[in-house]
Amino acid sequence: MKLVLVLLILSSGLQAKTDWVKKRYYFTALNELLTKSKGELNDREKQYFEKLLTMTGIEVLEDYNPKFLDKVNTDSVYFILGKKFFGKDDSRAMRYLTQLEKNHRYYPESQLLLSQINANKNDYNKTTLNLLACQTSAQINRDQQKLERIKRYYQMIYELCVVNKSRYAFGEGKFDEALKGYNKVPKSSYMWPSLILEKAWVYYHLKDYNRSLGLLITYKSPLLDSYFFPEAEYLTSLNYFQLCLWDDTYTVIKQYYEVYHPRFRELGAFFSSKRLSNDYFYNIMFRPKAEKPLDDDFVKKIMVRLKKQVRFSLDFNTVRRINAEVNLIMKTETPQVQKELLVHLNQVKENLVQKINYHAKEDVFKTLEKVQYFSGEMFKINLEIISKKKDLVYSNKKLIANRGRGDLSQVQRDKKESFWSFDGPFWADELGDYSFGLKSNCETVRREGEEE
Amino acid sequence: MKLIIMMIVLFISQGLKAEVREQVIYEYKKYEKFDLGNLEVKGELIAPGDISIRERNRKRFSSDFYVRDSFKPQILEDIKSLR
Repeated sequence: MKLVLVLLILSSGLQAKTDWVKKRYYFTALNELLTKSKGELNDREKQYFEKLLTMTGIEVLEDYNPKFLDKVNTDSVYFILGKKFFGKDDSRAMRYLTQLEKNHRYYPESQLLLSQINANKNDYNKTTLNLLACQTSAQINRDQQKLERIKRYYQMIYELCVVNKSRYAFGEGKFDEALKGYNKVPKSSYMWPSLILEKAWVYYHLKDYNRSLGLLITYKSPLLDSYFFPEAEYLTSLNYFQLCLWDDTYTVIKQYYEVYHPRFRELGAFFSSKRLSNDYFYNIMFRPKAEKPLDDDFVKKIMVRLKKQVRFSLDFNTVRRINAEVNLIMKTETPQVQKELLVHLNQVKENLVQKINYHAKEDVFKTLEKVQYFSGEMFKINLEIISKKKDLVYSNKKLIANRGRGDLSQVQRDKKESFWSFDGPFWADELGDYSFGLKSNCETVRREGEEE
Repeated sequence: MKLIIMMIVLFISQGLKAEVREQVIYEYKKYEKFDLGNLEVKGELIAPGDISIRERNRKRFSSDFYVRDSFKPQILEDIKSLR
């Protein structure tokens, strides 16, 4: 309400029609402001523009030509242009992103983008500074917010900046440092489930295969049912392989081949037939009634995971807001005004739907590709096991045990960690803290006097 | 002119004469007998007692498993998934 009042005060006396804000036609007001001013805004208009964006979201600006937006010198536009050129023309992106004021709401995100641009240039000192600035500003913004939803958003950006510091440390081979960062992310975080896999890789590099396996088993808990990572299955088999527990390795590989691989191949064939559609993936995500529901667990899991991504919810919220504005216009305006206003709104909506559809499609096909890729990698592990078994036969040796089982002496833990045995059920507070206690079975003994 | 032609003919005929060589016919023995029992080989007998082969390690090719060494794709994905 306060924001609407500010908007009304700011809009009075502008070249734009004030009616639109009074009627809550924010998208229409924004478009009118930009088109009438041809992008050249005075200070008051800039303030009005920034406030309007808080009602519409900046996603709507992605429809405008960058050359046109370049004239609109406001922080939100610097951010949207920086984001647009990020990864395509990094120096141009940097020019926009460095112009944001420290107290602007997109400042933490701009620092996040700058950190990656500097990392691309291998300037890790600047990357660290950007990440620190991102963390600090995200915390400040989070603490200033009253709405829980926005607080959570800034908390997520804060965590992302903490995690990215760990990811860069991992890339430099500083695994202990990487772990410290990962451990700062609470289990309640939106990012936490996907970080389990990353932590498992860190432990793999530290040769703590038991801990790595313990982390990966977390994905089998009912709470994380919607998370399926082919890479996690691969890493599980690789950990068993490093412990020379070949039967266990083979069990994981067999399950992957018998359960996941054929189903994903079928899904790949099905989705390929929909790849040219402009709204199929959007519909199965947000309008399941519009499409024949796919009764497949994996599709549901993928969709649940996608919906949790911020960009999808932000874009979908914008679509909903546009729909609300369209409905309002249809109810209250004359056919002449409707015709005038709805063209732009429908176009923006269509573009957003296509954008969501494109990103969802990209995500689905990437997941399918990963299943295929890790299937090949698992095949390599299987071949290696066969080769090792053959070597043992030729050298008249065998592994020390058929199956090494766990005991507490194999669990590496620090002073703060306690030990409870696992009896089958998953407890939410224990998730991510598991460790196997498997003894390495790589020792070989001479095969003597054995009767086959 | 006639003199020149005659000189050329004379030169050519001389050259052809030089190329004609006497034919040599080689004849090989049609039969020869070797008595291997009578052959004597000078030297020391060093034959091994039994068949042996030199032991060598099999060439092992390092397994080229995928091991993640960077999270750059995740960083980019997370940045993209923000907006």
